[in-house]
Amino acid sequence: MTLILIRRELLDNLMTFRFAAATFIMLLLVVANTFVLIIDYERRLTGHNDAAKMHQRQLQEKITYSAGMDRLSADRPPNPLSIFNVGFDKRLGNEVQVSHGVVPSLWDGYMHGSSNPFMDMFASMDIVFIFEVILSLFALLFAYDAFAGEYEAGTLRLVLTHPIGRGYILFAKYIGAMLCLLAPLLISLLLAVILLTTSTSISVNTDDFLRIGGIIFTSVAYLSVFYLIGLLISAATRRTSTALMLSMFVWGFLVLVYPNVILTVIPRSEAPDALRTSAFNRIESIWDTFDRERKHYLVTDDFPGEDWGYELRGWGSRSAYFWDNPRTLMYTYNSIMDFEGFGEEDEPKMPHAQKHFGFLGAQTIDAAGRTWLIRKPALEEIFIQPANVERVWLKLSPVGLYDAATQAWAGTDLLGIRDFFHAARQYRQSVINYLYDHKVFESRQWFAGDKGAADWSGLPQFSFQRDDISTNAKRALPDVCLLLMINVVLFIVIFLIFVKSEV
Amino acid sequence: MWHIAKRELYDNLNSLRFALTTVLLLALMLTNAVVHLHKHPKRIQKYRASVTKSLADLTVRTDSLYNIAQQGPGLLYKKPSPLRFCADGGEAFLSDVVGGAFLWSISGSSGRLKGFWRLDYPAATPNLINIRPDVTKVDWGFIIGYILSLIALLFTFDSISGEREHGTLRLMLANPIPRHTVLIGKFLGALISIIIPLSLAMLMNLLVISTSSDVHLGANAWGRLGIIFFIAILYLCLFLALGLLVSARVQRRAVSLVILLLAWVIFVVFMPSTLAAIVSGFSSPMSTDELWKRRGQLYEARWERYDTHLPKESEPAKRMQFEGEHVIQEAQEQERLSHEHLAQKTTQAQLARTITRISPVAIVQHLLESFAGTGFNRHLQFIENTQRYARQFREFVADTDRADPESLHFIGVREGMSQKPVSSDAVPKFEDTLSLSKDFNAAAVDLLLLTLFVVVLLSGAYLAFVRVEV
Repeated sequence: MTLILIRRELLDNLMTFRFAAATFIMLLLVVANTFVLIIDYERRLTGHNDAAKMHQRQLQEKITYSAGMDRLSADRPPNPLSIFNVGFDKRLGNEVQVSHGVVPSLWDGYMHGSSNPFMDMFASMDIVFIFEVILSLFALLFAYDAFAGEYEAGTLRLVLTHPIGRGYILFAKYIGAMLCLLAPLLISLLLAVILLTTSTSISVNTDDFLRIGGIIFTSVAYLSVFYLIGLLISAATRRTSTALMLSMFVWGFLVLVYPNVILTVIPRSEAPDALRTSAFNRIESIWDTFDRERKHYLVTDDFPGEDWGYELRGWGSRSAYFWDNPRTLMYTYNSIMDFEGFGEEDEPKMPHAQKHFGFLGAQTIDAAGRTWLIRKPALEEIFIQPANVERVWLKLSPVGLYDAATQAWAGTDLLGIRDFFHAARQYRQSVINYLYDHKVFESRQWFAGDKGAADWSGLPQFSFQRDDISTNAKRALPDVCLLLMINVVLFIVIFLIFVKSEV
Repeated sequence: MWHIAKRELYDNLNSLRFALTTVLLLALMLTNAVVHLHKHPKRIQKYRASVTKSLADLTVRTDSLYNIAQQGPGLLYKKPSPLRFCADGGEAFLSDVVGGAFLWSISGSSGRLKGFWRLDYPAATPNLINIRPDVTKVDWGFIIGYILSLIALLFTFDSISGEREHGTLRLMLANPIPRHTVLIGKFLGALISIIIPLSLAMLMNLLVISTSSDVHLGANAWGRLGIIFFIAILYLCLFLALGLLVSARVQRRAVSLVILLLAWVIFVVFMPSTLAAIVSGFSSPMSTDELWKRRGQLYEARWERYDTHLPKESEPAKRMQFEGEHVIQEAQEQERLSHEHLAQKTTQAQLARTITRISPVAIVQHLLESFAGTGFNRHLQFIENTQRYARQFREFVADTDRADPESLHFIGVREGMSQKPVSSDAVPKFEDTLSLSKDFNAAAVDLLLLTLFVVVLLSGAYLAFVRVEV
């Protein structure tokens, strides 16, 4: 009997104009947008490759290690799954400098700009956004007359005269309509995946397919939430016109109004300036100590004079500076010496200079490490926590939950981007290990290229591998579970209303 | 006709959708006002502080004409519009400053020659440390462009098809009323019943904004607001006409609703961004990397010229003249390159904007931006202002130098220019201005296009309704 009911609902829905329209529109939008998004992705990939090549070239051109360490950087390739949900992929820095003097973090990243910033005025839309806005609307359009329409037509009474439980009827309606709604969703998503795999520039591996699977599953759960909301309104109002109106306004509120309004209405929990100031003061004192020890070394070493460049008079350039940014709690010291040759009188100074730079390198790394210990928790409190509070507020709407979960699956959420900076920190560590192992700081090549240029071929290469699927799943599952929970609650409420209602 | 309009009006006023529309519009408009009151004073404060700092920097340089000419008048800032709440205009992606770039030393050995001030157009630096979730801004452009159009469709989707289903249409047409009167009556009824909540919400919004002492709206601003109100009504008419057209063509109101929603989704939600993305592929400006490469080439070529053509030291006057020309031409060349880069970027964006005009929501957003004094066209106006100011500034330098009889009149070299200190009041100051007449020119095409859409759709609705069988 349940099967017959499901079949009836299915056929009822399949024959309608709205089904045809929904499928057609979804296909049109998803295919057109995927096409555009792939073009956009390819453009970003080209930008990334150009930037990486340029950085490599700039590094190779440097003949001394100290000049090269000022040019070493890690580049973040665009995420192919950003086609589904772009998240932070385009918004946060996609390259970061890797130097021994500073531990790289999200706040030190910058953007290799090769595109036209004016074009950013036109917002781009990813596939999840289409589902978020349009699919939810379709779900409501399929649901608004499910009960109300049958009340009005009187067929509900007829169905209920049969010896079937009301729960079965509800279940059949749900399954029938969901099957219908799944068709446009799955067909359009599959077409998107086909387009994705045919593009030569995008390589998708098994894990990526699993991630896409996670996105599809989350989409189904989201769709179901909106269908159930429509069903609830339909069961509660009993009139199609009222149900339709109410559904439209609920949709408008949840999808358009709430996410926009909530962020401006909630008080921005700005981290107190005192926190920033105190952290910065502590960081400053680390570098003050560093500077004192540096000067102390210059005074007490065997070489007379306090010049950090040891009065070398060769051909080349030298610069040394402290660099700080109180806003992002950044503080570092950098000394670059880039000499091509020396005169006779410089030769005796060499051992002293080499010893000094060996000392300075180790000191800088140590100070940078201690800075990071203060900087990391402070940045967390100043930037991450307020943003997380806002994210929680957004999640009060199913749209927010869906967005967060799909971002986590795609790896374009904040954590996914931070993984890159984590990898950059690990890379910095391996570079430092390499520098220590090869005694680079004490070497002549650190500041001069006259007796053999710096050898960059042995330096570890940066490569960023995204974490495997289990990490994505771990980040996405809480939100997916919440979506499923909303589903169950809504279903129970509808069941109760339907069971208690008089026909 | 008025009978029909009145009847429609009463019908609408009693309906659920009218109540919900009023609540929704009021909620959005009040949010908009509160956010504006929160943010606008900060923007003004930042602008004033930057301008003051720029002027203070300028006073430091007044010890000699050479310093002023070489280092320029400081950064030039865009004045924030008091009507930003009407249209955000993607201001976050547009730079609010035009900088003068100068090189400290362009002479390799002596350090005597310095690069001259020239205009430079920095891109808006995206806030890379902003990790807060972002959503679209609730400005009037969003409320009118997206919400109001949807409301218009919800008010008209059943105005004819609904009556046909009930059979009341037949009844009405049995009376001796021409059909176009019925159509116009329905149109006016729906129009008035949306204008009521819309004006109410707008007035509440303006009331909140104008009672605050932080935001000052002058007569000019109120005039602009009036025009914006008129545009909103024109845009509303467009969607009402579309609703009537579909409602007259389609037998059932459910079908008409579905068709209208599809049309809304395609024209309002997807068209603007998708078209812009496609068009952006047609032309691409030079990359930053290429820009810097060309800068380097220009620089080297100029130095080669300098090294080969520099007159001998025995002819100091000739030498000074040559060096002055060298410096001025270097600045001109680099400025031309900056212009070229800017023009390429602008062309790409302009093309995309032109194509997106197929979508009425893009038109209305362009119009709102024009009259609110924000957005892309305003940015171009700002850049034009800075260019005009740059000419004025250079003329001032030349005039001041000419007025000094002791000067050798070789602009570009320290020894060749007037040595007297300059009064800081005499230096022309940059003041960014908003002019309404220019906005009107830019907006005329959009306004005509919008009117054209309305007329076409209204006549379409009329034809459909006249030919319909009841």
